Amino acid sequence: MTYNASSGERLTGPPLLPVGPATGGILEKLSADLRLRDNLLFYIACSVIRTITAGLLLALAFTEASAAPFLPKSDAVVLERLPTRPNDPTAVELRALRAALAAAPTDSDAAVALAERYFELAVAEGDPRYVGYAEAALRPWRSDDAPVDVLYLRGLLRQYRHDFEGALKDLELTLKQEPSHTGAHSWRAAIFMVRAEYAAAARECAALSGNASELRATGCIAYVEATTGKTREAFARLTGALERHPESDADTKLWILTRLAEMAWRMQDYEAADKLFRRALALGVDDNFLLAAYSDFLLERGRAKEVVAMLKAWTRSDTLLLRLAMAEKTLGLREADAHIQALGDRFAAASLRGERLHMGEEARFLLDLKGDARQALAVGLENWKEQREPRDALVVLEAAAAAQDAGAAAPVLRWLRDSGFESARLKQLADTLR
Amino acid sequence: MKRALAVLLLLATGIAHAHKPSDSYLTLHADGQSLRGQWDIALRDLEFAIGLDGDGDGAITWGELKAKQAEIDAYALARLALRADGRPCRLEPTEHLVDEHTDGAYAVLRFAAQCEIAAYRAVEVEYSLFFDLDPTHRGLLRVEHGGSSTTGVLGPERPRLEVRAEGRSRLAQFLDYAREGVWHIWIGFDHILFLLSLLLPAVFVARGGEWQPAERFGETVWDVFRVATSFTIAHSITLSLAALSVVQLPSRLVESAIALSVVLAALNNLWPLVHGRRWLVAFGFGLIHGFGFASVLADLGLPQSALLLALVGFNLGVEGGQLAIIAIFLPFAFALRATWLYRRAIFLGGSAAIALVAMIWLIERAFDVRLGLI
Repeated sequence: MTYNASSGERLTGPPLLPVGPATGGILEKLSADLRLRDNLLFYIACSVIRTITAGLLLALAFTEASAAPFLPKSDAVVLERLPTRPNDPTAVELRALRAALAAAPTDSDAAVALAERYFELAVAEGDPRYVGYAEAALRPWRSDDAPVDVLYLRGLLRQYRHDFEGALKDLELTLKQEPSHTGAHSWRAAIFMVRAEYAAAARECAALSGNASELRATGCIAYVEATTGKTREAFARLTGALERHPESDADTKLWILTRLAEMAWRMQDYEAADKLFRRALALGVDDNFLLAAYSDFLLERGRAKEVVAMLKAWTRSDTLLLRLAMAEKTLGLREADAHIQALGDRFAAASLRGERLHMGEEARFLLDLKGDARQALAVGLENWKEQREPRDALVVLEAAAAAQDAGAAAPVLRWLRDSGFESARLKQLADTLR
Repeated sequence: MKRALAVLLLLATGIAHAHKPSDSYLTLHADGQSLRGQWDIALRDLEFAIGLDGDGDGAITWGELKAKQAEIDAYALARLALRADGRPCRLEPTEHLVDEHTDGAYAVLRFAAQCEIAAYRAVEVEYSLFFDLDPTHRGLLRVEHGGSSTTGVLGPERPRLEVRAEGRSRLAQFLDYAREGVWHIWIGFDHILFLLSLLLPAVFVARGGEWQPAERFGETVWDVFRVATSFTIAHSITLSLAALSVVQLPSRLVESAIALSVVLAALNNLWPLVHGRRWLVAFGFGLIHGFGFASVLADLGLPQSALLLALVGFNLGVEGGQLAIIAIFLPFAFALRATWLYRRAIFLGGSAAIALVAMIWLIERAFDVRLGLI
């Protein structure tokens, strides 16, 4: 600003309303400045104009931002690739099964055959739409006195959609009709393990020992024991049983090797854990749980590069995309941002629908990828109401530690104490929080 | 544009589409007189229901979709019933497009509802798409009415929903957003302290390397005006960039930067690096504060049909809040500008206090700790 040396008047800038000379005394100054009101009014007027202009500009920006559907450029543009071609053996098989059901709509065997095939696809692909198709096939048999095969499958479908109460009930009805149904006992045990009801799980495993193979029965009880403070004994017992039954099917072996690897990991025998994970992978069966567990192991051991190589092709699955993004973020790879964005969209889509089945994953996402410990803690605790596996406990404790809110972690700390679950990592977190 | 970029990004990084249960997205625009809608239906689901893959090559092209459009319209619209004040509406397709959601491509069906009624107060939606084929399918409904929106999930257990056509009046909405703007300034102590840091020296002019009391109130007002205008323009720019998702900054970074801006603005009063160009400081830091506003607006949610109303309302609220502070502060500051009380205690002492408080915020926000001192 330049001032006239003698008059003190400002020489540049727009001429404002002339102001009277300053005089001594505070009150005199205020009242003598007759243009105070005019200046303020001018200021207010300019503020309003400026604000409306800003609002207009913003509105313009926002209308650009709203996502719009589009018109494809040409007829040849491929919009969607279907999971199967019409000539695929799977597609052919499904068509045959659907035709058989259409020809005999009241035949529960035909319905079960079709629903079973859909369920297998759901598990193999990780695609929940197949569960919907399976449920549609079983719709005519909604009552409690449906045939036992229908009840069993209904239980499996419900458990897939995390309706654990409904699944337990259907499996219980299955057992009423067929008390030695090994599948029903196994699945009930698995559901009880997810809900941390270990006594009930042990009861189901005990029922298996008379009926199922030694390996299955041992696997069941060993898993319960390993989770309730007898990790070393359970590991030895299960390893022995596995060695005695090399003839068992790949799916059973896969489950057992994954559990053994997790136990070894917790006993801090990292080499053994890695070997067991690799043995499981070598079976050649695609399994979401195995890949997720091995990724968690590799991430903890600082081997993020291997995670990226292993999971690159698995972006369809939310749980695996999460681990891939975590590895990429650790390595500082560019792809991490797009993956994080995609994960956020998927969790948002699930909550829009009102069915958040992956809240454990969402909590981990919020904590490690978004750095939002408080929100992660809230989602983790919400998840804990339904799912109480060690993985779910870990994310709550880590979020509570990051958000410095030990009080909120109380239910998980209680579980840790009551269950006797052995884990150096969880114990360390619990000590920090207490 | 943004959607096309998002698709390109997805393809470039090779992210496959997610697997999720079947949903359709149904948006209705109900303004009390006309009724129209947009329905996004997954190609995967349409393939399962009526078959789209004409040449059986496992891929659905735009040409194949267009060939089946009439059949899709008939199939879908037969399973959607809209009633305006109880009167059944005839649904007529108006436009066919395509969109991408997290789990793949969707056919976008835009339609107009002819309800044979001049004006209506409530809309009833009855939905039954795909329930016979997949009971896990859900219709995700959003009804835009009078600037606000109502959402709902339609499923086999709950296939019907009724929504009032008139939302809040435009004036009520405008006032809602204006109130949010004022509230955001009043509770935003960091914005207030930033403002005060810039206002404290407004009653001075730099002369001979020293702060001298300003001669006229007019020049004070002009100074404040330039500073506040730069601030408004700057925060509007970054608010737009954040809205367009051109720039997305993590909130911890933004909050820390805002705290830093307050520290620097306050310290500048004690050791003036910038005196005549404080509007530049206001501009530079206004850019950062804009990102802070963006997260507030994102939380509030903006109605697409009353966007201008909402944004002008919010901005006027912010401006009003700032104005209240300026109108209270400035006349007294001007009156006291030559006194020891103002020059030493309020100006220097106050700036130091602001710097200290902001420094504590900076540490808390940057390192995500709670010092519990304030």
